Amino acid sequence: MDDIDAMFSEMLGEMDLLTQSLGVEEEVTFPSLLGEVNLSPGFMDMNASLNDLDDSDLDVLMADLMADLNATEEKLAADIKNLEVPPPPSASQPPPPASIPPAPQGLNMGDLPPPPPSPQSDCSTPSSSSQSPRPPPQTAKPSMEEIEAHIKADKIKMALEKLKEAKVKKLVVKVLMNDGSSKTMMVDERQNVRDVLDNLFEKTHCDCSVDWSVEETNPDLNLERGFEDHENLVEPLSAWTRDSENKVHFEKRADKYEVFKNPQNFYLWKKDKQTLKDMKDRDKELLIEENFCGTSIIVPDLEEALYLREDGKKSWKQKLFLLRASGIYYAPKGKSKTSRDLVCFVQFDNVNVYYAKDLKTKYKAPTDHCFVLKHPQIQKDSQYIKYLCCDDPWTLTLWVTGIRIAKYGAALYDNYKTAVKKTSVASAWANRITSSSSSSSPAPSPSIKVKHASQANGHAAEPQPGPVLQDMGMAAPPPPPPPPPASFGSFPPPPPLQNDSLPPPPPLPTGFLPPPPPLPTGFLPPPPPLQTKPLPHPPPLKTGSFPPPPPLQTKPLPHPPPLKNGSFPPPPPLQTSSFPPPPPPLQPSSLPPPPLLKTSSFPPPPPMLNRLRPTVPSKGRATPPRAAPPGHLPSTFPPPPPPDSLPPPPRDEATEAPPDFMPPPPPMTLGAASPPLRPPAVAPPPRASFRGGSRKKSLPPPSLDPGSLLPPPPPINISSGGGGGGGGGGGGGGGGGGGIPPPPPPPPPPPPPPGPSVVRSTPSMRKTAPPPPRRTTPVQAAAGGGGGGGGGGGGGGGGGGGGGEGGDFMSELMKAMNKKRGGD
Amino acid sequence: MASWDLSVSVEDLGPEASPFTVSVTSDLHLGGVILKLVEKTEIQQDWSDHALWWAQKQQWLLKTSWTLEKFGVHADASLVFMTQHKPLRLGMPGGSTLRLQARFSGPVFRTVLGICRMLNLRHPEELALLRPLEEKKKKKDRDSVEEVYDLTAVPHTSVSQACLYNGMPAHFADSPETEAVYRMLSVPQPAPPPELITKQYRAASVVDKAHINSRWLDSSRSLLQQGVQENDLLWLRFKYSTFHDLEPKYDAVRLAQLYEQARWAILLEDVDCTEEEMMLFGALQYHISKHSLAEPQTMSTNTAMDDLETALLSLEVKMDGDGSTANDLLDNMAAPELGDYLKIFRPKRLTLKGYKQYWFKFQDTCISYFKSQEDSAGEPIQQIHLKGCEVAPDVNVGGQKFLIRLLIPAPEGMIEVYLRCENEEQYARWMAACRLASRGQSLADSSFQSEIQSIRSVLAMQKTSGNGSASATGDDAINAYSLVSPRYHKKYKAKQLTPRILEAYQNVAQLSWTEALLRFLQIWQALPDFGISYVVVRFKGSRKDEVLGIAPNRLIRIDLGVGDVVKTWRYNNMRQWNVNWDIRQLAIEFDGNVNIAFSCVTADCKIVHEFIGGYIFMSTRSREKSDTLNEELFHKLTGGHEAL
Repeated sequence: MDDIDAMFSEMLGEMDLLTQSLGVEEEVTFPSLLGEVNLSPGFMDMNASLNDLDDSDLDVLMADLMADLNATEEKLAADIKNLEVPPPPSASQPPPPASIPPAPQGLNMGDLPPPPPSPQSDCSTPSSSSQSPRPPPQTAKPSMEEIEAHIKADKIKMALEKLKEAKVKKLVVKVLMNDGSSKTMMVDERQNVRDVLDNLFEKTHCDCSVDWSVEETNPDLNLERGFEDHENLVEPLSAWTRDSENKVHFEKRADKYEVFKNPQNFYLWKKDKQTLKDMKDRDKELLIEENFCGTSIIVPDLEEALYLREDGKKSWKQKLFLLRASGIYYAPKGKSKTSRDLVCFVQFDNVNVYYAKDLKTKYKAPTDHCFVLKHPQIQKDSQYIKYLCCDDPWTLTLWVTGIRIAKYGAALYDNYKTAVKKTSVASAWANRITSSSSSSSPAPSPSIKVKHASQANGHAAEPQPGPVLQDMGMAAPPPPPPPPPASFGSFPPPPPLQNDSLPPPPPLPTGFLPPPPPLPTGFLPPPPPLQTKPLPHPPPLKTGSFPPPPPLQTKPLPHPPPLKNGSFPPPPPLQTSSFPPPPPPLQPSSLPPPPLLKTSSFPPPPPMLNRLRPTVPSKGRATPPRAAPPGHLPSTFPPPPPPDSLPPPPRDEATEAPPDFMPPPPPMTLGAASPPLRPPAVAPPPRASFRGGSRKKSLPPPSLDPGSLLPPPPPINISSGGGGGGGGGGGGGGGGGGGIPPPPPPPPPPPPPPGPSVVRSTPSMRKTAPPPPRRTTPVQAAAGGGGGGGGGGGGGGGGGGGGGEGGDFMSELMKAMNKKRGGD
Repeated sequence: MASWDLSVSVEDLGPEASPFTVSVTSDLHLGGVILKLVEKTEIQQDWSDHALWWAQKQQWLLKTSWTLEKFGVHADASLVFMTQHKPLRLGMPGGSTLRLQARFSGPVFRTVLGICRMLNLRHPEELALLRPLEEKKKKKDRDSVEEVYDLTAVPHTSVSQACLYNGMPAHFADSPETEAVYRMLSVPQPAPPPELITKQYRAASVVDKAHINSRWLDSSRSLLQQGVQENDLLWLRFKYSTFHDLEPKYDAVRLAQLYEQARWAILLEDVDCTEEEMMLFGALQYHISKHSLAEPQTMSTNTAMDDLETALLSLEVKMDGDGSTANDLLDNMAAPELGDYLKIFRPKRLTLKGYKQYWFKFQDTCISYFKSQEDSAGEPIQQIHLKGCEVAPDVNVGGQKFLIRLLIPAPEGMIEVYLRCENEEQYARWMAACRLASRGQSLADSSFQSEIQSIRSVLAMQKTSGNGSASATGDDAINAYSLVSPRYHKKYKAKQLTPRILEAYQNVAQLSWTEALLRFLQIWQALPDFGISYVVVRFKGSRKDEVLGIAPNRLIRIDLGVGDVVKTWRYNNMRQWNVNWDIRQLAIEFDGNVNIAFSCVTADCKIVHEFIGGYIFMSTRSREKSDTLNEELFHKLTGGHEAL
């Protein structure tokens, strides 16, 4: 108990810290929020701004915050407990006091789950604390022992890391989507844009095209800039002023990596158009190799008469500008353009390049194709901003890209390579995900499912995946209560369940570790993991190990608690306590998909499972809406209302998958871990509609859903499953289909749709195509045995080995699904 | 078969000695001839390196299984029996001269291979031998200056993989002298005195540069065939500007020599660059020479790890002690601070306010100032965040002016602030702190001390240049004129140049010298004109001379008069190229039925042919990463008719 007390006190301190940092974050949050909501610019009050947030936004935020708090607490408690190091009262953030109070209040006001406030307010904390103690012990104990076993230095190191972590700056960022909606997410300063993109991919189920980028817009200056994937997001956002109208957008930018797709247009732009158009792929590769793979990065040789805005004047003067690796130069009048006569206009060390819009009207620019060079800190018009104007849009692209190459060099190419990898993996995933999502009919579920898939993969990779998966399946049903209100009512029972579930948690801890890794590494490997998982899982399932799955469950659980807090204080704490530790480590590790990590890390899930189970029986799949701390849920499913129907989806992005599976549990016994995933997909076809609203990724799911809906698929699956233990690779759905008997064929078509990057188009696709895809996906999954089929995506996913049992499992699933449907 | 007398002179006996006469038959193979000859000399020695040279035909007779008839040797031939390896003076890119045993028989490509193996230079295919410029004037001072490092005692290894001993090839470790030579080769040379730079030949125009390319030795023929005599001087240079797989771990000599060549290319304006680039090159040279003087021990100590280790240690101590709190811990780990009375000046329009004195505190990456030291516990008058700001020195040691100019980014623009320090010491500390902070590093960063050091040395540099004398008075003192091309000697005074270089230096000061060296090479390679070898040619159907630029990936047709690029052709679009050796014309066919043909004016067409073939050969390397050199392919691509 002493330990627990110590831990508790630690956590309290930690929370204070975190809330302080929250205060700081608020500054940033304000602008974006305000702008979004169109609130009056005068918003100076946190409460007000928070109140203006959509419920869904708040939910997401809360979930994020909870996850974070929990993670930190956990770490601190577990690692430092012995050390007795009180939470560092880092004074790094002076403003905290003022901002802190408001934040919590705002949260409370908005019906937000108590969790966030808990840190500050005793009320909330108690609940969390009381609950947390229990869960932590389970998870923490094992870990504690292990730690003790470790060398002292290890402990210290961890403590140090914790301390450092406590100082990590976090921002709550509202990201605008191109469909007008927005997602609110927490970004910490260690995350780079790539991480954030991955996070957004998960939340939106978009096609993961390499063109997606996070960009900032500055309405004061009419500027916009796509962040580079290797940049940290927090830093540039920190430069925004308090009353900034700046926004963060999640959009496709065709120019982002155009230079790697068509290098000839940049490096050989002097050649005639036809030659460039007919460029062979081999020659393109060669160009990239020459310019990006040598000892030195070669910058496109640009030389153009551009218009320069004279300082302080409204006139624009034309000069001959040249781009060199060392900066932009111009040739003074009457002098040659040889190197020695060039005058340096700007070097890139301290400036970024921005696209400028509408300068024709604003500053009387000769054309609207302008770019701007300025220090990122400068937010208002100033003599230190350099405005340049090109004759046509292509010249503009040429220059902006050239400057980016000169400024970022090899990093740009590395980013591109990473993005391409992610895309191929994602596409592979997309198939599975879609299938899973389809299973969960409710709209919210789709997102959840997606995460599940990822998690599942992660788990699979891990040694213990098997159990986890099972757990997942078990847990899945309970989470359903996504719609906070509705679920709340049902939640009360869960707590007891949690206790029951506690025993299982131990296994979870181990599971925790595994999950995170999968995600990071996962991108490429993910598919394979799934396959592997299935194999291991099956056995566990048979044994009746349902409880173990906790990991997945845990995630969902955490979220729900917050929402429920009012009614069930205890549950949240547990989740939180367990969650915190794992997530932090993951994040620090720099894993791209932090959100996933977090989810995976949440040990507490077990409790959730318990709840889930109870709830499941009653409601079928109650999805814990809040569960999706990452904010995925909210963003995707603002209208969780259909809690009952949605059961699985909500939170899950990360963990959720399990919930979806929950229904299938029966099947689970049969078997393979993979099966659980599929079942969910089958059940919830309805979601398709949700996704339409949400985004791209949703597309795939719909297709799956249809499949799932269709009873026939199951049989198919069985057959295929038997054959394919190995699975199949994920390759395009088509590939998967090929291996598998006849049924698969249909799926291939669906995958393509996901492929298309256009979000909007996808929705339609989903609606229309859904049925076929579903079939295919399910089939594939079955074939894979657990592996999820990678449908459209390219990556090969993998197959897994469901083995002969897979067939049985599938049929079981089908039965379960049918039952469910009937019930619904 | 009738026997006849063959006259063979033995070089070892001296030019005066009368030739031996060996009685041979036409079907006697060469080995037999040599055997007879050796018996006849009655000298007991190792003849294994000897071979027969047919003086009239300028040809080596190396195939010992061939008969005299096959070679076409008759009684009128006078052969010379001589060693294949002879001492050669080799001018290295850095200006030092080595004397070593080089192979005078066999293709020069082989000779270069052997030299590179001995010097531990990887990728010898990128190097070639160049005839030196005839130095017409001042023969005397050439004698005085030239120092030759003798490596003739170093045995030629045939082992392709030099085994390392003491960080150097074993054959160098034999004697302290050779060891010293190796060290010299693997470290960049100190900055040359400005006079040396001014004195060197500088190619003033593209045509001048084109003439340099006429001096490359033919890689398919032997040294002796090309008129190179024992003890002649040749330059070893990187000829092909594609440096494959540079790896500081293995390429100490290669990197050092490449850097030397790049440095001289910059100093002599072989490659044009802008003024800003020149200053950066200057700063990097300064940085590199400072470090190489100091001691080129292994760099890259992991500072981050050091920090962690230290922190861990202190933490551990803490933990062992009685229950200390995290607060203490954090305090303990807090970064050091600076505190001083400084004067601040913020230039604003229409204000004539001068410098005002405050108590300044430097903490983390922030400067705060207070009315007085006593007030420093309270709220600062202002706090300045330095991360991302520009820091520039405004220093005049003679005038005791020590200003730090800060350009601090703010939402409204850049805010200009001047800090005035009292003395050098104070200035060095605050300047170092500002620079670190502008990079986002705190005072706790391990580079703080070295930053202070470098600022001090920079001040010392200014002192020297202020005195006007170029001679190095201190260890760290370097004449700014040694770092830039003569053009800037005329354009700027040393004391104007120094701050410019220092400004650029600020951005590279944190690099280790290996990193700095690589950076230098990168910037060099990123120059638009880098890697282009010029030749004056006459295109078929054209009446005027034009310039052909041969780059690693393309051919460039340049207008001789204006210097504009007329057209470029990329090698990867090349279908084939042919040399008409009779009319000395090159014809090249590209995709899309594009044909060009030209004759070479300033260089032999074999040289142009070899350049093109060589670059194509270089481009075949990247695929397979194997270290084995496809010599045969090289000769195929560069050899021309002689190789067939």
